[in-house]
Amino acid sequence: MKIKGLLWVALLVLPLAAGAQQHRRKVRKADAETREWKYEITPVSVGAKGSVVVAVWSDSANPVVAGEQAKKNAVHGLIFKGMPANGAVPGKRPLVPVSTGDEQQQRKEAEYFDRFFEDGGAYMRFVTLTSEEQQVTKIDRRKYRVGVVVVVSYDELRRELENRGIVRKLDAGF
Amino acid sequence: MKRLICAAVLAVATTVGCFGQAKKPTLMVVPSDAWCTKNGYVKTYDNQGVAESYPDYWQALRENTDLQLVISKVGEMMSERGFPLKDLEATLRSIRTDAAEDGVTMSKETGDGLAESPLEALKRTAKADIILQLTWTVNKTGPKQSVTFTLRGLDAYTDKQVAAASGTGNPSFSAEVPVLLEEGVLAHIDNFNSQLQAHFDDLFANGREVKLTCRRWSGSDVDFESEFDGEELGFLIEGWVGDNTVQGRFSTAEASENRMVFEQVRIPVMAENGRAMDTRLWANGLRRYLKTNYGLDAKLDTKGLGEAIITIGGK
Repeated sequence: MKIKGLLWVALLVLPLAAGAQQHRRKVRKADAETREWKYEITPVSVGAKGSVVVAVWSDSANPVVAGEQAKKNAVHGLIFKGMPANGAVPGKRPLVPVSTGDEQQQRKEAEYFDRFFEDGGAYMRFVTLTSEEQQVTKIDRRKYRVGVVVVVSYDELRRELENRGIVRKLDAGF
Repeated sequence: MKRLICAAVLAVATTVGCFGQAKKPTLMVVPSDAWCTKNGYVKTYDNQGVAESYPDYWQALRENTDLQLVISKVGEMMSERGFPLKDLEATLRSIRTDAAEDGVTMSKETGDGLAESPLEALKRTAKADIILQLTWTVNKTGPKQSVTFTLRGLDAYTDKQVAAASGTGNPSFSAEVPVLLEEGVLAHIDNFNSQLQAHFDDLFANGREVKLTCRRWSGSDVDFESEFDGEELGFLIEGWVGDNTVQGRFSTAEASENRMVFEQVRIPVMAENGRAMDTRLWANGLRRYLKTNYGLDAKLDTKGLGEAIITIGGK
């Protein structure tokens, strides 16, 4: 009787655990794609003072994961990738184009950004709004491309990186 | 004794705090000549029979509220980045007040007025290290209007453009011009500042770019071909310039017996004693070198912020 009960519990729990594991795997894959620049970013409009409105397209087997990853990709794009102009809306240069510091500085920065971009990391502080509407396109049998409009507190983000010594302040040295 | 030690420590700390930092460039926003002409803010004068016009900033600031809006918006954004702007209107008012006060100032004993050469009077204009020059035009297509916005950063030392951002905003049916202008500033200021940052990085790495002109008084016995210790004066000056520039960077644009011009002279941002360096301080080194080593008197003048003129053969 006991064994039967345990089997029932296992039957209920195992699919849940497997599902969670699969979700984590997809999130890890999405993180890897972010590091490999596998997302597209473009400015949408001139936002309010201090903020930037961008549209981000991310790919994933799970549209929910791609939608969430878009927030991370928006901040990642503004820090490392930059974006060209979109019609009348000017583009932006990356905040951190290429690390010119020594090896130790580069390692310190890498550690900081690993923590910054982990799930629930500090990057979310700079995402102020995400559009409810998502543009979901199935690009092949197992992949979706999800487009989301994200508002990022650009000035706050730059200030954070300046305070961490990763970006030079405009008045540094004076 | 304790007080003395405390005072000494405080003095040293203050000195260290003051030194070791370069002179912060001053920034000022001015409307461009093209904008002033287009909007009728110009004054015309007769230059030996030829009518010449120059921008009337005073009138523009008093009459055009859009200009004030754009200047204050740019000022607000620059202030947040650690560069509060030198205000054009306040500077112009200060120049007018100074001129009025100087005109009526006289010595109580002799009744003499203040001494001012015509050259000094001419130099009393609004100055800043970097001039942010603004231009905008309102475009109308049927009921829609948009704003074409240009912001240029000109280095007053070299007159070179060090940063620029421009573009036309999205046409709108309902937005008014001030709203479109504000959008123009917000849209372009970050890119402008990125270029300004690159200019500052270059300035720290390679020095500030200035120009040096050396000339001689007509009555002087010495010219740039006169020999001292077996070497011509021109080459001695060239040697000094090479030794006192960042990585010896300069180019000799002109060299004759009466005149020498050095361009793209990269002077260090800070002097050896840790003090902020400017063109006058740097060129004074050459004046002292000529006096100490060759007993030559020379007059040092500056033109704008980025040109030093040394005239040898007297003051």
